[in-house]
Amino acid sequence: MADLTEARIAGYIEGRLAGATDVTVSDLRRIVGGASRETYRLKLAYTAPEGQRVERPLILRRDPPDSLIDTKRDIEFAAYAAFYGSAVPVPEMLWLEEDPAHLDFPFFIAEELVGFESSPTGLLSPPYSDKAEAIGLRKWTILGEISKADPVALGLDKVMELPTPQTCWTRELGYWEREVDKDEVEPQPIIRAAIRWLRANPPPPAQKISVVHGDYRSGNFLYDSDGEIHGILDWEMAHLGDPLEDLGWGLNRIWCWGGDDRRGGLLPRERAIEIWENASGLRADPAALHWWELFNCVKGQGIWVSSAKAWIDGQNRDPILAFSAWRMLNAQDRAALELMGKL
Amino acid sequence: MTPTVQAFIGDVAARLGMVFAPDLKSPYLAGSAGLTAAVLMMAAEEADRAAHRLVEENRAIRGIFKDAVAHATSEVFADELRTLAAGEDNDLRISVLQAANNDLRRALIELHAAVERDPGPAARRLDAEIWSELAESTRRRAFNSVRF
Repeated sequence: MADLTEARIAGYIEGRLAGATDVTVSDLRRIVGGASRETYRLKLAYTAPEGQRVERPLILRRDPPDSLIDTKRDIEFAAYAAFYGSAVPVPEMLWLEEDPAHLDFPFFIAEELVGFESSPTGLLSPPYSDKAEAIGLRKWTILGEISKADPVALGLDKVMELPTPQTCWTRELGYWEREVDKDEVEPQPIIRAAIRWLRANPPPPAQKISVVHGDYRSGNFLYDSDGEIHGILDWEMAHLGDPLEDLGWGLNRIWCWGGDDRRGGLLPRERAIEIWENASGLRADPAALHWWELFNCVKGQGIWVSSAKAWIDGQNRDPILAFSAWRMLNAQDRAALELMGKL
Repeated sequence: MTPTVQAFIGDVAARLGMVFAPDLKSPYLAGSAGLTAAVLMMAAEEADRAAHRLVEENRAIRGIFKDAVAHATSEVFADELRTLAAGEDNDLRISVLQAANNDLRRALIELHAAVERDPGPAARRLDAEIWSELAESTRRRAFNSVRF
């Protein structure tokens, strides 16, 4: 396996840009971004057929040997592409490549949105903390737009399984319970109790089938000091399902990085729900939302136990996996206990 | 053995996070070094407390099992609960204590599921005892640096 080099990437892009000449890639750097794929920043330059020189900052996301979560890059690519140019800000997707012959693993290349912040802890201090209300308003409004969208009209039913309103919860709970079964390296009595409760107390059918981002939280969007959000990122767990699933994930206590009750370090829980309801035109029935919030503790634990296993197996020794295993797993248990009134 | 393992790892973590990481040119490596420093700080804390928290937790779960045999769903499980309840932590190596903890927590899951199905007052008391221990287990595992 050869190194990932600027020349190899330029060679690939040259074959995709009809009529372009003198294609170069420079400033290739790996950055932190998303948990399931290697993310690189690079600068593309080429001479267009009309003669002008074009420069463009890009992001390359490549499958790693192992990852926290098993996701399909074609689904992530399709989700981004579906919302491009809509009320949901996303970068433009350029090329999806499934053939590992080009860069050793499948990958996709997208526009880079430059000059914005993404750190969830960055939201906790000036100048961004002064704009928490504005960023929170945009965050939960954009989620409302995602929930409101028609996945069939977007064409996403062609790449994502379309569940019925009655089967969203069984499919999701079954999937994440199997992940815990498969990857847990020590017994998980709290999350097992949560799973038993969820099965015994199913939620009502989804009020509609929505696009579910799957990881909608602070850390997965680009923001600025004016309180605007410029890009929703990391659609690697996108699927179709109950819109309350996304709302519940974003409200998860494990994302309260400020140590207080502000969800995602931005807004109180009830305010976030109010904004989402106004933007989506949907209702967050308290009992149904409670079910999805507790479900998201199971989902979180599925991710954290998989992190621990990937590190222990030695397939991926990124420190984020050990961090997840030690810090997030216990926080997730505490979040589940809190929701069940047992903390 | 001094300096303690906790002090040494904590110092390495501080150097990595505050001295080395800021000077790394690659944003990915700088981020990775910073995260490694955070994980090392947790490792330092765990090095000091791990044996204590495992012994304490194993003792607490054995205490639950002593009063729980009547709620076992089979004679085999009842025997397992008796055996586990009679266990002792004589070997204080972390790996041995963790193995015992895994056995105890696996049986606790089965017991909890059985108790949930029983509406009787004794089962309700045991259920509350199990939940109390589960909440305590998360306090034992929490790190000083973590706010939730």
